[in-house]
Amino acid sequence: MSEPFEPKIIAFVCTYCTYAGADLAGTSRLKYAPNVRIVRLPCTGRISPMFLLKALQKGADGVLVSGCHPGDCHFTHGNYHARRRWMVFRSLLDFLGISPERVKFSWISAAEGGKFADLINSVTEDIRKLGPFDQYKELIRETETPATL
Amino acid sequence: MITQEKYRTRVKELLASNSVKMVIGYKQGSTADRRRPLFVRSFEEADELVLDSNCIGNLAGYLVTEGLLSDEKRVGIFLRPEGIRSINILAAESQLNPEQIIIFGFDTSGREVKALQGEQAEDFSGLIDSLKEKPPEKSSDALLYRIDQMNTEERFAFWKDEFSRCIKCYACRQACPMCYCRRCIVDSNQPQWINTSSHTLGNFEWNIVRAFHLAGRCVGCGNCDRACPVNIPLRFINARMAQEVFESFDHYAGTSQTQEPVLASFNKDDSETFIL
Repeated sequence: MSEPFEPKIIAFVCTYCTYAGADLAGTSRLKYAPNVRIVRLPCTGRISPMFLLKALQKGADGVLVSGCHPGDCHFTHGNYHARRRWMVFRSLLDFLGISPERVKFSWISAAEGGKFADLINSVTEDIRKLGPFDQYKELIRETETPATL
Repeated sequence: MITQEKYRTRVKELLASNSVKMVIGYKQGSTADRRRPLFVRSFEEADELVLDSNCIGNLAGYLVTEGLLSDEKRVGIFLRPEGIRSINILAAESQLNPEQIIIFGFDTSGREVKALQGEQAEDFSGLIDSLKEKPPEKSSDALLYRIDQMNTEERFAFWKDEFSRCIKCYACRQACPMCYCRRCIVDSNQPQWINTSSHTLGNFEWNIVRAFHLAGRCVGCGNCDRACPVNIPLRFINARMAQEVFESFDHYAGTSQTQEPVLASFNKDDSETFIL
């Protein structure tokens, strides 16, 4: 019996809302799937599409990006800029054949510890259903094999 | 032919009166139907100018050559409507002063060449607005139609196959008038975002990033597509990005010199249907 597939998910979160929300989930003793590795950043506006590509390049099966609700940004409009960027980036990924299902976006405030736990569970389930990102991992393996002369 | 003669005379007039220090145009290329850039500084060079339906390259990128415009003298340039849009974007992004640019506008239909009225970028705003009203034909290309019909996995396989041929010569970047960064993200190695070795992974990443950086800025001149030595259909990716920003944010790149770059601005009512 092979072990069930456990997806590896990287979450890029903003420190003022979603990271605090994740903290709240922790202090409220809420249990959620352990598949997510959180990377804390100052603002969603700081999240470059390069980060998402890097996560995939390092073998992530899915990526989650989360920040403050519109209007709540600590820097007043970082998340508005981020929203436009994601909209365009998602359609680019879709056109090039990287399923937008693997790259998720959400708004989670510092008070939404429960929503954070639920979201992590549902995202983990979604990615588990999609399975490992084999097509991308094949490309990664190619870079790891020594060149033949 | 008449347009060519008219413009040759005008170039000589401007050079004689010292109104421009140089005019960037086209001359005969290595084969009968190829044209290469010509940098006119004298009357003899002006006689080499060629203007016909084979003049398809967008020359706007030469204007951001380091030091060209720093003496505040004027430079003339032959441009199609896409080229004029490039000038507007470069001006909006503070890369040049549009008042320094004298435009020799032209457009072609079939083998016919017609001159466009105006000399400064703002003179063409009516023309560019009319281009915006006329949306580009969707899926007119058989290959693009095929890509649209594919599912995600087939699409990945299709692009993997295309990008596996990429040799990372960066000709697409060098040919693009919008790629003026002195240090491109692919050249930085601390941190190194993109794998620069000759593997498909890095090719994939490079092409994603290139297309993303051109989102809302590409005017569809086709320089990258023609420059690609392995014929990757880059025009489709750029066109998809242009379509996305047009549909989502009503943004048509290069309509004016004061147009805000689409990814450096926002609207509180932007769509967010994809956000959980």
